[in-house]
Amino acid sequence: MEQQYRPMPGTPVEDLETPCLILDMDALDHNMDVMADYYEGRDSKLRPHSKNHKTPALAHRQIRRGGTIGGVCSAKVSEAEVMVHGGIPSVFVTSEVAAPIKIDRLCTLAQQAEILVSCDNAENAKNLSQAAAARGVDLGVVIELETGLRRCGVQEMEQGVALARVIDALPGLNFKGIMSHQTIPEMTEREDRVTEGYRVIKNVIDLRNAIESAGIPVEIVSTGETWSYDVAGEIPGVTEVQGGSYLVMETGYSYMTEFQYSGKVLTTVISTPRPGVAIADAGQKAVSTLRAMPEVEGFPGVTVESMDPDHAILHLDDGVQLTPGDQLLLIPSQQDATVSRWDRFIGVRDGKVEVVWDIQARGCHN
Amino acid sequence: MERPVFQPTGTPVMDLDTPALVVDLDVMERNIETLHSRFDQSTAKVRPHVTGHQTPKIAHRQLQAANSVGGISVTTVGEAEVFGDAGITDILVASQIVTQSKIRRLCALAGSNRIAVAVDNPQNVADLSQAATAQGVTLGVLVELDVGMGRCGVAPSGEAVELARAVSRSPGLRFDGIMAIAPFPTFAGESGSSSEFPERQERDAISWQVLQQVLDTRQLIEKAGLPVSTVSVGGTHNYDIAAGMAGITEVQAGSYPLMDHLYCRLRPEFSPAAKILAAVISRPTGESAVLDAGHKATGPDRGMAVLEGVAGAQAVRFSAEHGVLDLQTGPAQNLKAGDKTWLVPYNLGLCFNQYDYVRAVRGDKLEGFWPIAGRGRFD
Repeated sequence: MEQQYRPMPGTPVEDLETPCLILDMDALDHNMDVMADYYEGRDSKLRPHSKNHKTPALAHRQIRRGGTIGGVCSAKVSEAEVMVHGGIPSVFVTSEVAAPIKIDRLCTLAQQAEILVSCDNAENAKNLSQAAAARGVDLGVVIELETGLRRCGVQEMEQGVALARVIDALPGLNFKGIMSHQTIPEMTEREDRVTEGYRVIKNVIDLRNAIESAGIPVEIVSTGETWSYDVAGEIPGVTEVQGGSYLVMETGYSYMTEFQYSGKVLTTVISTPRPGVAIADAGQKAVSTLRAMPEVEGFPGVTVESMDPDHAILHLDDGVQLTPGDQLLLIPSQQDATVSRWDRFIGVRDGKVEVVWDIQARGCHN
Repeated sequence: MERPVFQPTGTPVMDLDTPALVVDLDVMERNIETLHSRFDQSTAKVRPHVTGHQTPKIAHRQLQAANSVGGISVTTVGEAEVFGDAGITDILVASQIVTQSKIRRLCALAGSNRIAVAVDNPQNVADLSQAATAQGVTLGVLVELDVGMGRCGVAPSGEAVELARAVSRSPGLRFDGIMAIAPFPTFAGESGSSSEFPERQERDAISWQVLQQVLDTRQLIEKAGLPVSTVSVGGTHNYDIAAGMAGITEVQAGSYPLMDHLYCRLRPEFSPAAKILAAVISRPTGESAVLDAGHKATGPDRGMAVLEGVAGAQAVRFSAEHGVLDLQTGPAQNLKAGDKTWLVPYNLGLCFNQYDYVRAVRGDKLEGFWPIAGRGRFD
């Protein structure tokens, strides 16, 4: 990794070694501005998810730009380590942490920053408590509620209230509140997203009310994501929204037209073996294809027909010609699954490299 | 970069922090022995293609085995630099290198290594020749044939002869011969996780036909008066067919040491040696368990990882960071948070692409963390 390519600032895009992961800095700033403008002056705030960019420098930029809670989410303990070591003061690990070795690392982080963690069962709460008490730290605990994702989380209200009681009574733990993830409904009309957002998030608010009725204050209600940033943000009682995709964006979110694509993979044509076909040097190791092939930017008549691990097979419409050495930009269908294949972002503005950022938490699965 | 907990040598495998990419060395060594021994009576030798595992330690084991050609093949210049630094001096870059800066890097490597590269167009031949001459090195060149992969390469015909002539006339270049990556029967037109492929006998017949086109082209080129010293074909799925065809000099096999779910179905004489150890983090309902390994820890683009060793359970869904198990029967429903399970990756290369270290294990004990040094060297 250390010896990987790191172009100097000022390098023109056309001189970059490919494939490489480009960040369009204007689009990046624009996307952060949309969020900052929306959340400025609201009761709810954005807690940007760091699993999407895995880069402390970007987390700091998101926080500085405004509209955030002043901290981030992380998906994994190792990702949280990178964020805390990178100076982020508050990190919410939005997944259950079960292994003793990981709980111990979480407690170490809690000595350096505010740490919140999700929980969906009493046994896990006891393990967290025991470790936190032994280490003399406080862990903020947030109950995860299942609202249609069919993954982790308590399934029912009573289960949630009972777990809140358990957590509230345990030493070393601060009961903070509740969180819930939703599936992305891929509704292109905002009106439908509003209806759907209210439908699923109602359960979260109901649980909050039930826990407060039991006499336990709920400080945090954390839910929503990019698709529902302007729905969850308006629902009374929601305190923070976990948006992540908005920063880099992807064709899967093409219907959210207020955001721009900032993350793109620059690739070079290496072969034009037959009429109508060109082969480029970015494959599935460089771009996620799980949902769809990436789109080609700015080259009408060129589409990605398929990819293998190391190559893209491009289809050229009649009359379209490419030559080995030509460069193309690919817009991924899924941003976080693409970013997680790279060790560097190359930030570009006005056709020149402005900054290079290490994607420090890439590979942080544990 | 991955941040493993570097647990000490001797740690029981089931105590490893998760998710962990683990290679079972006994299984790997058996796989290597199985493939390499097939070349005992063959004129062809094995050139390990390392772009799947990207791990120098594993490449060296392959080169130490019988019947290796003494070098490897890779896909990118960046990978060639990594494996060159790891002491491997004979490297075939089995892809087209067309930009000026990459050609310069290739020539720099050729200063102290035996470097060969694939070509499929005359302009590229001219560019390589010019750079090699300017840098005072010799690049070996293989003309790539497209024998059905639908990717790079010229047709196995007169076009290949013309290109071979161009190479042999070019200063700074050494015409070594030809190479072709043979598609395996499902690969043609496959977009994702197609699981149907023809029966073994039919596959063998197809492989033989495909490889025969390569040998026919060899003859065409030799008839034109150009000696062909190297006929390099891929890969694991047709290795034994290639081993039995006189005139093939090397087989670029890559998947065989570690295998994956797809290749194990095609080639049952090998066993999966690389697996992902994942832990249950939640049991939200009686019939489901959630694992700490999702898309980012498995590399799912060509197919989902497969749960192994838990009777009555299967991995049914993955999201970016999590996997969901469906627990169909009683014993499987005893799984609890903290329990560890094994996932077999569907595609080896896409799985290794997500890690920086593979945990080498023998007899269920950790031997060490091996850097996947070529990871991310897409350049």
